[in-house]
Amino acid sequence: MKQAAYIINTGIITAIGNDTAACLDALLNGRSGIGKANHLKTHWADELPVAEVKLSNEEMAAIAGVDARWPRTALLSAIAVKEAWQPFADKVKGLKTGFFSATTVGGMDLTENVYKAFKEDSGTVDFNNIKNHECGAITELVANHFCISDFVTTISTACSSSANSIMMAAQMIGNGMLDVAIAGGADSLSRFTLNGFNTLMILDKQPCQPFDNNRRGLNLGEGAGYVLLMSEKAMQQCGATASCIVSGYANANDAYHQTASSPDGTGNKLAMGNALKVANLQPADIDYINLHGTGTANNDSSEGKAIEALFADKVPMASSTKAYTGHTLGAAGGVEAVFGVLSIRHGIVYPNLRWQTQMGDLNFKPVTTLQQGLAIRHVLSNSFGFGGNCSSLVFSKC
Amino acid sequence: MELYITGTGIVSGAGNSGDDSFLKEAPAYDTDKLLCVEPNYTAYIPPMQLRRMSKAVRIGIGASKMCMASAGIEKPDAISVGTAMGCLADTEVFLGKMIAQDEQMLTPTAFIQSTHNTVSGQIALLAGCYGHNLTFVQRGHSFEHAVMNTQLYLADNPYEQMLVGGIDELTEGSLEALKIGGINNKQNSIPADVLNGNNVGCIAGEAASFFIMTDKKPANAALCIKDVYCFADKDNATAVKKIESYITKHQQKIDVTVLGQSGDAASNPIYQSLCSGLLKDIPQYAFKHLCGEYATASAFALGMLANSVLKNKPLPAHCMLNKEVGEMKNILLINHYMHYYSCWWLQVV
Repeated sequence: MKQAAYIINTGIITAIGNDTAACLDALLNGRSGIGKANHLKTHWADELPVAEVKLSNEEMAAIAGVDARWPRTALLSAIAVKEAWQPFADKVKGLKTGFFSATTVGGMDLTENVYKAFKEDSGTVDFNNIKNHECGAITELVANHFCISDFVTTISTACSSSANSIMMAAQMIGNGMLDVAIAGGADSLSRFTLNGFNTLMILDKQPCQPFDNNRRGLNLGEGAGYVLLMSEKAMQQCGATASCIVSGYANANDAYHQTASSPDGTGNKLAMGNALKVANLQPADIDYINLHGTGTANNDSSEGKAIEALFADKVPMASSTKAYTGHTLGAAGGVEAVFGVLSIRHGIVYPNLRWQTQMGDLNFKPVTTLQQGLAIRHVLSNSFGFGGNCSSLVFSKC
Repeated sequence: MELYITGTGIVSGAGNSGDDSFLKEAPAYDTDKLLCVEPNYTAYIPPMQLRRMSKAVRIGIGASKMCMASAGIEKPDAISVGTAMGCLADTEVFLGKMIAQDEQMLTPTAFIQSTHNTVSGQIALLAGCYGHNLTFVQRGHSFEHAVMNTQLYLADNPYEQMLVGGIDELTEGSLEALKIGGINNKQNSIPADVLNGNNVGCIAGEAASFFIMTDKKPANAALCIKDVYCFADKDNATAVKKIESYITKHQQKIDVTVLGQSGDAASNPIYQSLCSGLLKDIPQYAFKHLCGEYATASAFALGMLANSVLKNKPLPAHCMLNKEVGEMKNILLINHYMHYYSCWWLQVV
C-alpha cells in the first residue's frame, strides 16, 4: 500500500501574480496576464503578445534573496519555491526532502544574449552567462539556495515537464523514499522559444482563445509553480494540514508526431485514463478538468476528442487557464497543479476566458463564467507536449 | 528494487556494440575529443528518416535499436532517458540562425529537434511505444535518475521491459564552454593521459548507451543493478567519506571495481584515496580513456560491463589499472562528473 502524498502548500509566480494569493485574485476577477513583452527584448514584441511576469530580473532577485545574474528561469523558480517552502523550512529536520523541478529553456535567456560573441571569441564573454545554460544547473542553483540535497532532479519533457516532476515526487513519497518534496517547474520567456514556436506558426497574434472554434494559436508565457508534498509522518512532525492529495498520475506517449498530437488524442486518452486508474476513480468522479488547452487548432481538438472518448456525454466542468497565464511550457504542469489545488481548496472553477464559439468537432463547451461555492472533490490536470509526451495528474480532496 | 539488464547498445567514441571488435583493441589517439564512431545505420534507421536526424538523434536511435536487438525485443513497454545537455547541435543551429537573421525567416526543423526529449520521443515514435516516457536532465545524475525512474516504474508495472538510456552529444560550442569550465582538457590527450595524467579536465566525449531493464530475473546470464547511490558534493574529502561508507555498507566481496578516474587533477585525489585505501586489494578498471568525459558517462561504463556479461567476454585488458579480475560476480562502479557522484553495486546473475 502506497503512502499518500499530501499537498501542504503552493508556490507560484506567473504573469497574473507573484504569489498564490495574487494569482487567485486574478483568477477570481478574470484578469489575464497577456500583453506586450516588456522585459523580453525581441523583434516580435509588437506582433506577438506574451504572458510575461511583471518583474525585472533585479526585482525578482531581491524578492528571492539571490544573485540577479542567475538565469531568469532560476529566479522564477526561487520565488515560487520560497513561497511553498519557507513556512516549513525549519520544521523538516531529520526528514528526507527532495526537489523535483522541470524546465525546457534552462539558462537560454542568458546564453542567447552572448552566443554570437562566444562563437566569435569565447574569451570576451563573461562565463557567468554560459555556465548555467544546462536545465539541471537551474535546479542546482535553487536547491543549493534552499539547502535541499537528499534528492534533486530535473525533468524535461517539453510542455508536460512539471506534471512529470509532480508524478515522480508523489511516487517517491508513496514508496517511502522521501518524506517531503517540492515539485513543479519553471520556464522563462526567451527569444529562442518565442521564435521556435513562431516558426511552427502556432502563436496567436491576439490574446489566445482556447477551445474556441476560431482559436488561432497559443501565447507563450513564463512562470513557475510548485506544490509542497509531505507524507503523513512529515505532516505530523511539521504540524501541517492538507486540503488534498496527489491521488493519480500517468504518463503516456502519443507516438504520432514530434510536435503534433494525433487527431483522436491517443496519448491524451491513455494519460487521463491511466491517471484515473491509479487514483481508483471513475470518470464520473472528476469534478473539474484543468485542460492543457493551449489554444492551437491541433491540441484543443485532440484533447477535446480524447475527453469525449473517456467521459462520453458526461464531460465534467472543464477550462483552460492558459488564457490567463499563457503557455508557460515546462512550468505549465506546476502552475496548473497550483490552480487545481486552489479549485479544491476554495470550491471554485475558473472561466475559460475569451471563449465565444462552440468548436465544431466537439459537443462539450468549457466553463465560461467563474463557478463558486462548489464541492470540488477530484480535479484532473492535463499536460501534453512535444515528443508525444502526455501526462495527467489527479488531485483529490482529503 | 533490483533491475536486470537483458540487452545493451552503445554508440561511442570507442566504437559501437553492434560491432564484433567493440573494445577489443586498446584505443590510440592524440586529440581533445572522442567523437562517436557512428555505425552504418541502414539496419536500424530508414534512409529517408536518417537524413533528417541530427547526431544526437542518430546515435540515440542507433544505440536503442542495437539494444533492443540485443535483448531480442522490437519495442519496449516504457522509455526512460537521461541527457544533461539534450540535442545541442540542433539548439546551436537554431540559435545561430536566430541571431544571424535577427529573428526573421527562420525554419522550424532545428527548433523541433532541439527539445531535450527529442531522442526519447523519436524512439517512441519509431517503435510505436505508447508507454511511459521520461527524460531526465540533472547534469551528472541524468542517467542515474533515468535508472531510478525505471525502479519506480517497474515497482508499479512489474514484469515490463523498459528501455533506459544515457546520451549526450558534443558540439564545437559545448566543447569550448566545457574547456573554459575546466571539465574538459584544453590540451590534446593520449589514452595514458586519461588513465594516469594530472591535467586540468579530461578529454571530452559523447555517446549513447541504452539498456533493456526489467525486474524479472532472466533465464540467461544478465547484469543486475543491485543498488545505485547518488550524491552531489563540492568537497573532495566529504565525497571520499560518502563513497567509503557506501563501500563499507555493502560488505559483500567485491570482485572488481570500475572507476571513472579521468586524469583530471581536481578529481584524481578522490580515486587515489580510494585505490590506496578500501579498494587497495581489489582489481581496478577504468573506462574514460574509451568514452571521454561527459555527463552521462556512467551509462557507457554500465554498457561496457553489460556487454561483457551478455556476450560472455572478459573486460578489456586495456581497462585494467592494477591487476586482472578473476571470476566477476560483484562489481562496484564509481563515477563522477563535476561534483556529481554515483556508486553502483552490480552483480552478474
